[in-house]
Amino acid sequence: MFKSEKQKIRVIFASIIILTIIAGLIDFGQCYNKYRSAFPEMKEIPFRLGLDLLGGTHLVYQADTSQVPAQDRMSSVEGVRDVIERRVNVFGVAEPNIQTSKTGEDYRIIVELAGVKDVNEAIKMIGETPLLEFKEENSEMKELTPEQEQEMDSYNKEANKKANEALSKVLKGENFIETAQNYNEDIESKDGELGWINKNSGYLEIFDQAEKLAVGKIYNRLITTDKGFDIIKLEDKRTQKEEGSLAFDKQEVKASHLLICYEGVDNCENKLSKEDAHTKIEEIKSQATAQNFSQLAKTNSTGPSADKGGDLGWFTREAMVEEFASTAFSIAVGEVSDVVETQFGFHLIYKQNERNLYEYKISRIFIKKKTKEDIVGPADAWQNTDLTGKDLKRSSVQFNPNDNSPEIKLEFNNEGKDFFAEITERNVGKPVAIFLDGFPISIPTVNEPIKSGDAVISGKFNIKEAKLLAQRLNAGALPIPIKLINQQTVGASLGQESVAKSLKAGMIGLILVALFMILIYRLPGVLAVISLAIYGLLILAIFKLWPVTLTLSGLAGFILSVGMAVDANVLIFSRFKEELRDSKPISKAIDEAFRRAWPSIRDGNVSTLLTCFVLINFTTSIVKGFAITLSLGVLLSMFSAIVITKVLMQLVITERFENKKWLLGIKK
Amino acid sequence: MDVISKSKIWLSISSVLIIASIVSLLIFGLKLGVDFTGGSLLEIKYLQARPEVNVMQEKLADLEIGNINIQPVGEQNVILRFKEVSEEKHQAILNRLSSIEEISDEINKEESNAIAITEDGKEVTEKFNSSVIEEQRFDSVGPSIGQELKTKSLYAIVIVLILIVAYIAWAFRRVSKPVASWKYGLSAIVALFHDTLIVLGIFAILGKFFNVELDTAFIAAILTVLGYSVNDTIVVFDRVRENLPKSHDDFSSTINTSLNQTIGRSINTSITTLLVLLSILFFGGETIKYFVLALTIGVIAGTYSSIFLASPLLVLWEKVKK
Repeated sequence: MFKSEKQKIRVIFASIIILTIIAGLIDFGQCYNKYRSAFPEMKEIPFRLGLDLLGGTHLVYQADTSQVPAQDRMSSVEGVRDVIERRVNVFGVAEPNIQTSKTGEDYRIIVELAGVKDVNEAIKMIGETPLLEFKEENSEMKELTPEQEQEMDSYNKEANKKANEALSKVLKGENFIETAQNYNEDIESKDGELGWINKNSGYLEIFDQAEKLAVGKIYNRLITTDKGFDIIKLEDKRTQKEEGSLAFDKQEVKASHLLICYEGVDNCENKLSKEDAHTKIEEIKSQATAQNFSQLAKTNSTGPSADKGGDLGWFTREAMVEEFASTAFSIAVGEVSDVVETQFGFHLIYKQNERNLYEYKISRIFIKKKTKEDIVGPADAWQNTDLTGKDLKRSSVQFNPNDNSPEIKLEFNNEGKDFFAEITERNVGKPVAIFLDGFPISIPTVNEPIKSGDAVISGKFNIKEAKLLAQRLNAGALPIPIKLINQQTVGASLGQESVAKSLKAGMIGLILVALFMILIYRLPGVLAVISLAIYGLLILAIFKLWPVTLTLSGLAGFILSVGMAVDANVLIFSRFKEELRDSKPISKAIDEAFRRAWPSIRDGNVSTLLTCFVLINFTTSIVKGFAITLSLGVLLSMFSAIVITKVLMQLVITERFENKKWLLGIKK
Repeated sequence: MDVISKSKIWLSISSVLIIASIVSLLIFGLKLGVDFTGGSLLEIKYLQARPEVNVMQEKLADLEIGNINIQPVGEQNVILRFKEVSEEKHQAILNRLSSIEEISDEINKEESNAIAITEDGKEVTEKFNSSVIEEQRFDSVGPSIGQELKTKSLYAIVIVLILIVAYIAWAFRRVSKPVASWKYGLSAIVALFHDTLIVLGIFAILGKFFNVELDTAFIAAILTVLGYSVNDTIVVFDRVRENLPKSHDDFSSTINTSLNQTIGRSINTSITTLLVLLSILFFGGETIKYFVLALTIGVIAGTYSSIFLASPLLVLWEKVKK
C-alpha cells in the first residue's frame, strides 16, 4: 500500500495531526468561535455533567405492578416513565435522565435531574402526578390451580373430621366450654360464647336450627356453612324487645294486602284518578272478608304480590312503610283493615297471623374451612382495563348542561380511543369506574358504546377543584401507582466547589507527571507528554460527542486512565532503554521495544477492562460513570501509546541521536 | 537487588499487614454508609452561626424520626443521620433546622415552623428558610435497596475475581514449566487479596476513629484496586514468561532477574499514578476524598505485592513441589 516504511509513517502522522485538530475544535469550540474571523463557525457542544457536579437529584421510584398481568408490566412501567418525562419537561430540566429498571420482580423508575434548581419542588411535582385508572366490573374470578384445589379439599376434609370428633365428644357429655377451648377456631371467642343472636345478626343457619332446639340442648349434627362447621348448644331463649324505652315484645306479622294505585304514583300503570281509585277501593272493602280476600286481591290488586293473592309472608315492623306497618300491627288476627293510604296508593290489609320474635343465647364450636378467598385472596370488585392515564391526551373543564355543575372532559389519544370504545362496547348497561389516585372518583353506567374517545368525570367538584384536577391531568397521569424509595440529592454549590477543586488538583497532578516523565526519560519523555496531550484532546472530544455524562467519579476514572496511558509509555521506554543498552541500532530498538512491551500492556489493560465491564453493569450512576470513563480511557490509551507515541518516536528519534544517547536517558 | 533470597522478610511483612488488617476488621468491623444500610443522610451548611448540636436535637425531637445522629463538619456544616423518611418529613426537618435561629431569639417560637394544613387536609410544609441554611446533600435509601446493593457488590467482586483468574490462566497457558499456569493466576489472586485486605483494614480503622463510612464509590475503588493490582502483577509475570524459555539459570534466579528488569517500570508507573492521586487527595474536592484515598492505599499495596509477594510466592510453589 505504501511505497516505503517512511511514507507509511508520514501518512499516519498526518492523520494524527488532522484528528488532533478536529478534536481540538470540538473541545474548544467556544474559544475558536470567538477568534475565528473568516473561518466557518464551529458548533459548540457542551460537556454533559452529572448531578454530583452540577447539583441535582437521583430518585428511584418503585412501581406497583401487582394489578397488572405479568406480560404487560414492562409496558406499564414504560408508560410511567413517559408520563414522568413529560412532567419533568414541563418543569424545565435541561436533560433529565429517566430510565426503567427491573430487579428481580421489582420494577423501578430512575429519575436523574441534574442541574435542577429546586430539587424539592421537582420531587413534589412528580409526587403530585395523578394516578388515573379505568376499571370495569370483575367478571372472571381467580381460579384455583388443581394443586390448590387439592390442598383446599384435603384441608376441609381434615376440618370436617375434627368437627365430627368435637361433636361426638360434646354429645357424649363432655363439658362444652372445655371442648370449645380445645377445638374452637373462632378468633373472637375462645370459649365458644356467641352471645344472643336474632334473625338479623348474620348467623342465619345457626338461628334456623336454634329455633327448633330446646333450651340446654346441643344440636346433634354439624351445621355446615361457607365458612366452616358449627356445633351449637342453645343456652337460653327470650323474646326480642322493640327498640325504645317501652320495650314491647318484638313481633312479626303475616299478612296479605290489596293495592289500588292511581295516576302519578311511582310504578303505577293504570290511568285511574285518585278519586276513582278511592271509590274503587271503598267498593272492594265493602265486600271483603277473610275468606274471599285472596281472590279479591288476585283480581283487583295492582301490587306485585297480586298473583299470590296479595300474600306478603312474615315481616317485621321495619320492613314496611310506617302507615302500612302501624295498621298491620294494630289490627286483630283474621281482620280486614280499613283503607290505608301510603305513597304507593290505597291498601286493604288482611292480617293472617302474628307471633313473637325470639333471641337465642348460643354457645358454639366453630371449625374453620378454607375457602377460595383464603388461597387466592379476596376477589376485587373492579379489574383494570387496558386504558390508563398514559392514554390521556388532554383534559378540560366543562359544565354539565343539565345542572351546570363543573365536569372534567377527558380526550384520549388514538390508542386510548380504541381502548375506550372496546371497554364501553363490552360494558353496555354495566358500570365503568374511573379511579383517581386509587379511589373511584366517578362510576358512570355505560348507555351505549362511545367511539369518539371522549369521557367525562362528573363528581362533586367545585370549579376550583375541577380546574386544578384538569391541570394536573394535563401534565400527565400515571397508569400505575409509584412510590419514592430512594433519593440522593447534591446541592449545587457542593458539586461546583468539588468540581473546581478536583479539576485544579487533576491539572497539578498531570503537570507533575509530565515533569517526572521528562526528567526520567528525556526526549522520549517529551514525546510521551505530547502523545498524552493528544490523548487528552481526543478523549475529551469523545466525552462531548458520545456524550458521556461526567460525574466526579467519572473524572477520577479519566485521571486514572491517564495513569494507565503513562504506564504504557513507561513500559515501552523501559524496554527501549534496555534494547539500546544491548547496543541495538535505534530504529531496531524502537521496533523491539514496542513488540515486547505489547503483551504486558495488553494483559494489564484487559484485566482493567474486565473490571470495568462488571462495573458498568452495576447500574448505580456514580460507579457506572467511573467505569465508562476508565474503560474509554484505557482503550484510547492503548491507541495513544502504540500508535501515536510510536509514530512520534519513529519520526523524531533517528540515527542522528546515536551519539547523543543521554538525550534518550542512557548514561554513556 | 536480590529480592528472592530475602523472601522470608517480604512475606513476613505482608503477613503482618494482612493479620493486622483482619484483626482490625474483626474488632472494628466496617462502617457501612446509608447506601448499604438504608436510612437517611442530610448535610447542611449554616450560612450564619451554626447552632449547638443539642439545640438541633431538641428541635427535631417531636418529628418522630427515631434516633438522630448529628455530627458537625468543618466550620459551618453538619451531617445528620436518621432512618429513612418520607419527602414531607424531609422538608419538615429542613424547616425546623432553618428556624433554629429564631428559637434562640425567642421569636415566634411556636408558629414559625408549624406544619401547615391545606384545605384538602394534606400535610405540607412551608418552604424552608434558605437564607439560614443550604441543603448540600440528602440521601434517603430504603432498607431493601441497601440490601440489594450489598448483594450486588459482592456479586460484582466475585465476578471480577473469577474473570481475572480465568484471563491470567489463559494468557499464561503456554507456560507450564516448572509452575502450572493456573498457579500464576492463584499467586496474582493472593496478591490481590493482600491489597484489598489492607485497604479494608485501614478503612475499618478510619471508620472507627474518624467516622468514615463506606459507600458505593468505595466498591468502585476496591474493584479498581483489584484491576490495578493484577495489572502490576501481570507485568512482572509477563517478564518471567518471556525469560523462562531462554534462561539457563534455575527458576528462582530467573524470577529474580525478571523482577529486577521490571522493578524500575513498576516503581515509575506507581509514582506517576500516585502523583495524580495524591494531588487530588490534597487539593481536590471533599466528595471524592475517601474514594481517592482508597485508590492511593490500594496502588501502594499493589506495587508492593506485585514485587515482594506474588513472585516470591511463585518460587515458594516451585519449592513445595520439590
